[in-house]
Amino acid sequence: MLKQSSRTSLAFLAMVVLLLIASGVCGRAAVRTSDLWWMPEVASKGGVLIDKLTYFIYYLTGAVFVLTQVVYIYFLVKYRSRKGAKATYSHGNNRLELLWTGIPTAIFIGLWGYSNHLWWDVLHAPTPPDTMEVGVLAYQFGFSFQYPGADGKLGQSDVKLIGNDNIFGNDPNDPATKDNFQSSVLELPINKPVRVRLNSRDVIHAFYVPQFRVYQDIVPGRTIDWVWFTPTRLGSYQLACNQLCGSGHYNMKAQIEVVTQEDFDKWYKEKAAAAVIPAGNAPAQSK
Amino acid sequence: MSQTIAHPEASEVESSHGHHAELSFFRKYIWSEDHKTIAIQYLFTSLFFLLVGGLLAMGVRYQLAFPGVPVPIIGSFLPSWLVTSAGAIQPGGYNALFTMHATVMVFLVIMPLLIGVFGNFLIPLKIGAPDMAFPFFNALSYWLFLLSGIILLSSFFAPTGFPASGWTSYAPLSSHAQYNGTQIGQSCWCVGLFVNGLASIAGAANYITTVINMRAPGMKMFRLPLPIWALLITAFLLLLAVPVLSAAAAMLFCDLNFGTSFFSSSNYGQPLLWQHLFWFFGHPEVYIMIVPAMGLVSEIISVNSRKPIFGYKAMVFAMVAIGVLGFIVWGHHMFVSGMNLLLSATFSFSTMVIAVPSAIKTFNWMGTVWGGSIKYTTAMCFALAFVSMFVIGGLSGIYMAATPVDLFIHHTYFIVAHIHYVLFGGSLFGVFGAIYFWFPKMFGRMMNETWGKIHFALAFIFFNCTFFPMHNLGLNGMMRRIADPTQYEHLRSQQPVNIFITLSAFALGLSTIPFLINFFYSMFKGPKAPINPWKSTTLEWTVPWPTPHGNFETTPTVYHGPYEYSVPGMEEDYLPQNQPAPDTVRLAAH
Amino acid sequence: MHAPATTVHNEGPDIVRFGMLTFLASEAMLFSGLIGGYMVLRGGAGGGWEMPEALKNVETMVKTIVATLCLISSSFTLHFAESGLIKRGKGGKLLLLLTILLGAAFLTNQALEWASLRSEGFWFNTAGIMGSCFFVLTGFHGLHVLIGVILLITALIRALTGKVTPRQHGFLDCTGLYWHFVDIVWVFLFTILYIL
Ligand code: HEA
Ligand code: HEA
Ligand code: CUA
Ligand SMILES: [Cu+2]
Repeated sequence: MLKQSSRTSLAFLAMVVLLLIASGVCGRAAVRTSDLWWMPEVASKGGVLIDKLTYFIYYLTGAVFVLTQVVYIYFLVKYRSRKGAKATYSHGNNRLELLWTGIPTAIFIGLWGYSNHLWWDVLHAPTPPDTMEVGVLAYQFGFSFQYPGADGKLGQSDVKLIGNDNIFGNDPNDPATKDNFQSSVLELPINKPVRVRLNSRDVIHAFYVPQFRVYQDIVPGRTIDWVWFTPTRLGSYQLACNQLCGSGHYNMKAQIEVVTQEDFDKWYKEKAAAAVIPAGNAPAQSK
Repeated sequence: MSQTIAHPEASEVESSHGHHAELSFFRKYIWSEDHKTIAIQYLFTSLFFLLVGGLLAMGVRYQLAFPGVPVPIIGSFLPSWLVTSAGAIQPGGYNALFTMHATVMVFLVIMPLLIGVFGNFLIPLKIGAPDMAFPFFNALSYWLFLLSGIILLSSFFAPTGFPASGWTSYAPLSSHAQYNGTQIGQSCWCVGLFVNGLASIAGAANYITTVINMRAPGMKMFRLPLPIWALLITAFLLLLAVPVLSAAAAMLFCDLNFGTSFFSSSNYGQPLLWQHLFWFFGHPEVYIMIVPAMGLVSEIISVNSRKPIFGYKAMVFAMVAIGVLGFIVWGHHMFVSGMNLLLSATFSFSTMVIAVPSAIKTFNWMGTVWGGSIKYTTAMCFALAFVSMFVIGGLSGIYMAATPVDLFIHHTYFIVAHIHYVLFGGSLFGVFGAIYFWFPKMFGRMMNETWGKIHFALAFIFFNCTFFPMHNLGLNGMMRRIADPTQYEHLRSQQPVNIFITLSAFALGLSTIPFLINFFYSMFKGPKAPINPWKSTTLEWTVPWPTPHGNFETTPTVYHGPYEYSVPGMEEDYLPQNQPAPDTVRLAAH
Repeated sequence: MHAPATTVHNEGPDIVRFGMLTFLASEAMLFSGLIGGYMVLRGGAGGGWEMPEALKNVETMVKTIVATLCLISSSFTLHFAESGLIKRGKGGKLLLLLTILLGAAFLTNQALEWASLRSEGFWFNTAGIMGSCFFVLTGFHGLHVLIGVILLITALIRALTGKVTPRQHGFLDCTGLYWHFVDIVWVFLFTILYIL
């Protein structure tokens, strides 16, 4: 009995150690940011803050995990059954109960304070005056975007108006909408805050850009316009639909190009020249 | 003994209370109203569904590692809604795979295993009752459960196949045939879950009535073994959460088939209403799937450490707290669904708070092994592993509870990792442990320990190899529910990890085989089990095997709490609940 | 449905009532789900919530009120039927029959109402969000009434065959509880669907 049990207890120990190593691996990976092991390099202002919080929780939970498991495994080995050894007779200890109820409660509430503060700062902070607004329409299975055009205003839109000839549901009586132009690529100037006006014409889709640390479901029949972010790294990214929306969900994506202000202005002028959204060039009607 | 329980007036059902010999084959094995038989029926059925759900998972994993590669051998036999003519899994089919994988695992595997099997088997035996309060509805519950399983899986043969909008079936994708393209499958999903709900509710009402009203003399509430507390609390969760899903499923069914507009984006319907109704059920549901496992594991750990459970009352109150708080955190699944941002903040708070009782339980488990004399039986290994795996799964939950972090990891593989650490490393490990632990009382024979250890070792290692890397995938921005990761630049470099996971997953699947062999071999050929193999204190270990209908020759009397191990001053290191403590010793609690 | 009797171990009918009450708690949550959905939808619909003429007109109103009164009074007739059968051990069978008839009357009225609404082009798929709620809520409730009537008939048969006695009445008890519950639910539905 003794031999057998100690053998298995050690085997068990070995396995949990193996697990600790596994988590250690990504602990090290946290240091070097290679794609294969860790988060894609952050490319937006808010993302930096979110990463801070993520790391905070990472170290917090990491510490909790290592602490609890080390103590736990120590007990498992130390108190494996041996000849003659009898278990201590104890029904518990109220002081300890209070301790390990109180401390986690404090930690959790504190953590909530931190994360909630960030929640409002990232999401609810009023957008800066120089924010550019871009209209986003999601459909089975793709995205299309509309830009404010020369006047820099998207103008009024209403989901009820969304249809094949007016895919963004722009209000025809609002002059600001007249010069809006459409694009299939989400072209963004660097370091300029952008707010997206999200609409869907069929099912729920999502606006997900891991590098920006941005996610928002796009709900049909509603306009969601509280998502804004500030790209901080040049380059091309992929906008991914990350809400199951049917058989084409797996590759419902769009190109995002973060470019210098100059390049952006150039691109914008050309597009704006083409002006109004040509009627009828609606995305393929969702089957 | 049947006389002692059969009510004088219940003449028309006397037969069901007679001795086994008197029972027809039908009454004994098919429509049995004996809670033990029903438990076994649940056991075999849900183990079968585990294989189904697992094989579906294998399909999922195969596609993720080798997208577009025809499935060897079976590929050409699969229906056209699932695979291309070449036999490769197609995107729509992939959605169907994980949808049914989850639906099967949640509603046809974990719930019935924990509640159907151990609820039925343990409640009457542990509280010293002759049977459930309503044997008829108990049997009915099993057959409804089986029916729901058949309905859910039958859509396999529909031309459009399985439902494919995820186990969460978000509307309007799920509520409009022209969007999901699987009208029949989705309808089967609604009906199946409705019937499944009826089964759960029948069971829940039965358990509550039984535990409250039919405890043996002396079995005070605070003398109930923890599994019973856990199952009682779970029963309340089922009773109050499941009907809401039934209502939602009914509305979804009408949207889908009768053209109502509850969840549609036009006609003033509200897509988010579905999510609120679903998660109002869905979150209690996830605790429904862990609390019973917590109860079972607590007992296994206490018995095998030969030590009273540490902080019995704290354990009970923690579970009650989980049960109550479980109803006010559902919004944490909807932080970024378009729900009011202020609501997100509040739900984030309640979610943080609900982690506290789980913390309490974790520490009390550690307190229980502290100073024990631990016997490493297979059951114990699974129970101990449960604690570690639950801690990992729980800690990953903390990331998501923080709204800004969820903003990044929502709907990524980080969530998938979380799911499986709590549901597989948690619930299912708990179930495995419990099967090894109570097998002797179920089948009168012992399972083979060596093979048990092999099963444990393989399951433990390959479980972690399969699901731990998913945390990284998630943090790398790999979305869940996508049929082909290689479509995305930032995911191509992840493919090696996906392949590694898939191979581990196959191994994990195969690790179930030693278990299955051990299980069935021991059933017939295993060594005969002594009446109380683990030297356990609770009442089920006082009845012989085969346990007669009606369980107890004479209703037992209970003298003290459930976990009196290593009481000082006794040469035996355990004191059964039905034996008064000798005057020489003083018990430390109730 | 003889089940409850099998369960009367040593605790007597009380345990059966207890079980039924637990089950009704679940039923309550079912309707809470539906009514909760109704509130959210109606709140969100604003002007989009049109009460169809077919429901507003006096005739329908009168009919529905009568039906409602039928249902409510049936609770009382059932109550006295029970006390007759259970407490005094005699009489009550006629009252039980009356209860069944009242229930049936309610159902018939609802069936006719659905039919007339349909004939006026007001149906699940053609009546907007109000229609969705109306038909699903009344439909669910109607189903419960139907089940209730069937239970009552069974109870009557048991009474006639002497299976309901002061010592054995678990089944009738449950049927009673269930019937009162269905009754209360209707009072809610009537208020939110016809009056408010
Ligand atoms: C058994 C099932 C189970 C359990 C027990 C849990 C437990 C928890 N879950 Fe989990 N969850 C699921 C099953 C479960 N979950 C499923 C299936 C989904 C996905 C649904 C879907 O979308 O398909 C999900 C999704 C999910 C989400 C939504 C994620 C998203 O979609 O973006 C969130 C967000 O808050 C969450 C949080 C939590 C938390 C905080 C806990 C807590 O209860 C955990 C508490 C435990 C601990 C914290 C560990 C032990 C404690 C200590 C060691 C003490 C010290 C710790 C500290 C001080 C940090 N879960
Ligand atoms: C309830 C418990 C539960 C359990 C036990 C499992 C078990 C497994 N799950 Fe499951 N899973 C969920 C619940 C569960 N899952 C849920 C709720 C989701 C969310 C779905 C959604 O998004 O809607 C999900 C989603 C999910 C995904 C994400 C799909 C996606 O989002 O695209 C993946 C991918 O790897 C996965 C894999 C697995 C694997 C490999 C197992 C393995 O552990 C299975 C091992 C078991 C067996 C294999 C069966 C027994 C053995 C045999 C049959 C013999 C040998 C067979 C072979 C080797 C072929 N699951
Ligand atoms: Cu659109 Cu997924
Ligand atoms: Cu949850």
